[in-house]
Amino acid sequence: MFSVSSLFSQTVTVNPVFGNSNLQLDHWYKLKSGDSVKIETLSFYISGIELLNNGTSVWKEKNSFHLIEASQSNAIKIPSGIKYDHIKFNLGIDSITNVSGAMGGDLDPTKGMYWTWQSGYINLKLEGKSNLCATKKNEFQFHLGGYQNPFNSLQTIELSVKENQRIKIVLDMEKVFAQLNLSKQNHVMMPCKEAMIAAKNIAKLFSVQ
Amino acid sequence: MKKIIFILLIGSFSLVAYIVPKQMFYTVPKSWPKPKYDFSKNPLTAEKIELGRALFYDPILSIDNTISCTSCHSQFTAFTHVDHPLSHGIEGKMGTRNSPALINLAWHSLYMWDGAINHLDMQSLAPITHPDEMGSTLEGVMRKLQKSPVYRKLFYKAYGDSTITGQYTLQALSQFMLTLVSSNSKYDSVMAKKAKFTLQEENGYKLFQKNCSSCHTEPLFSDYQFKNNGLPVDPLLKDYGRMKLTKNPQDSLKFKVPTLRNIEFSYPYMHDGRFKRLSDVLTHYAMGIQHSNTLAPELQKPVVLNSVEREELIAFLKTLTDKTFLFNPKFSYPKEVLTK
Ligand code: HEC
Ligand code: HEC
Repeated sequence: MFSVSSLFSQTVTVNPVFGNSNLQLDHWYKLKSGDSVKIETLSFYISGIELLNNGTSVWKEKNSFHLIEASQSNAIKIPSGIKYDHIKFNLGIDSITNVSGAMGGDLDPTKGMYWTWQSGYINLKLEGKSNLCATKKNEFQFHLGGYQNPFNSLQTIELSVKENQRIKIVLDMEKVFAQLNLSKQNHVMMPCKEAMIAAKNIAKLFSVQ
Repeated sequence: MKKIIFILLIGSFSLVAYIVPKQMFYTVPKSWPKPKYDFSKNPLTAEKIELGRALFYDPILSIDNTISCTSCHSQFTAFTHVDHPLSHGIEGKMGTRNSPALINLAWHSLYMWDGAINHLDMQSLAPITHPDEMGSTLEGVMRKLQKSPVYRKLFYKAYGDSTITGQYTLQALSQFMLTLVSSNSKYDSVMAKKAKFTLQEENGYKLFQKNCSSCHTEPLFSDYQFKNNGLPVDPLLKDYGRMKLTKNPQDSLKFKVPTLRNIEFSYPYMHDGRFKRLSDVLTHYAMGIQHSNTLAPELQKPVVLNSVEREELIAFLKTLTDKTFLFNPKFSYPKEVLTK
């Protein structure tokens, strides 16, 4: 498709932020409502990265599975010298990969993103505390996943981008908490309707910075 | 043109080279369906099978080093739990289900009584992390294995890499379990025309084909579908089978049809081990069936047999015993490796 010499010199980074600043784990944030939240764990899978130009695919990453962890920096390489105007990726792991047995790398089950009592990847894990949660130690836990209908929670995200040496994609957790109604719902731990809805809402909050 | 043929030839040679070593560990018995397990993603090798066997027999997989896979899956009972209706784990904690026999696992498409596990590789995660079974975590197990010189060596031999990963560990356990093929019973010899049923067994076979084989389908003696065979719900366990997973009322009380190979030795029977003897099972199919919306159509009418017929059917079921499986030294405790 493109010559061997095309360099993978551009990068895409995917980072959770809180409002205008980088997200800090274990830090108490004030929400607009006046309530407070602290995020202890935030990890999610980005997969199937693809670049599009005028609606047609111009590049697809092979073996495209990336575990994004809030505590660690990441940089996904993409080729330079290709014209594109959109980037597309999944939030989560597709159903074929989900039924293909033990995988390595970011998909290794030791990464803590695999359910044990019922097979399947956790697409997004969000854990922490908030005064909004009338739970033990005010904890909330979201393990969002599910690859089978009717509870398939995989989301596809498409964002308009300008060609750039460094594409910065962010997920604004302040907006995520404005969506999740923590006082009503703070514990989603298996494939279900609630998980699908939460995943869908979160997927809308990715943006290019 | 010549060039193309040449390439094709190379292509087919490499294909043969690829298949041959596999066949040394795995031959699909004649006239059996194609296995569901995708061997190309985890090609069997002697070293990986040996590693998997060591892991299967080693209590290192449990938090307090007391329970191994074989605690609940022992060879002499076709790899089910010896004599307990419900499985027991660390600190004597009781499970809620009977451990199934581990036989011909490459042909299943889903694992567990309710199909909660979608791939053999992922199966081992469930007992390792279950608080009432081995109570550990995969990460914890990796740390212990990484510290063990025996395992670093075994992993190196198997994968050319002494860094132990979750993927390697799970795939190696699958490799050993995939070798647990039972295809050498008297029934198999009769089908291969190398032996003959007695008259009693022959009559039992006919009764079996008439009443049982729609679910316990030959040659695997299961169709591996989920069905309700009319067992009344245990009021304490309240186990509704596959519905727990799919949340679909159509799946209420459906459990995976178990194989009947080696059934003589894999008692107690059913998902909760409620029956001790094969005659109890026949009594269930004759007069114990509980009617409900999801009861399998073929069991709407009870399977009533007279006492002679019951003996015949049981005689046939015993022809499914495979001594070469139950006593195969390749499947037993790997003394050479684990007692070092
Ligand atoms: C404490 C007892 C216990 C231990 C230890 C245990 N198992 Fe099991 N095993 C069970 C039970 C009970 C089931 C069925 C559970 C269910 O259906 O919910 C099962 C199911 C299975 C199955 C699925 C079989 C089928 O027909 O679907 C496999 C494969 C298996 N175990 C392998 C293993 C391996 C490998 C290990 C060690 C890593 C292991 N087991 C450790 C009790 C145990
Ligand atoms: C409609 C399908 C169906 C038919 C027909 C059927 N079975 Fe079953 N059988 C099952 C299912 C499903 C189970 C597991 C049920 C459970 O544990 O909840 C089972 C379990 C068993 C078990 C226990 C196996 C074990 O390892 O625990 C035996 C033995 C058995 N059946 C024998 C028979 C015989 C003999 C017949 C014919 C008289 C028969 N079955 C007919 C579906 C069927």
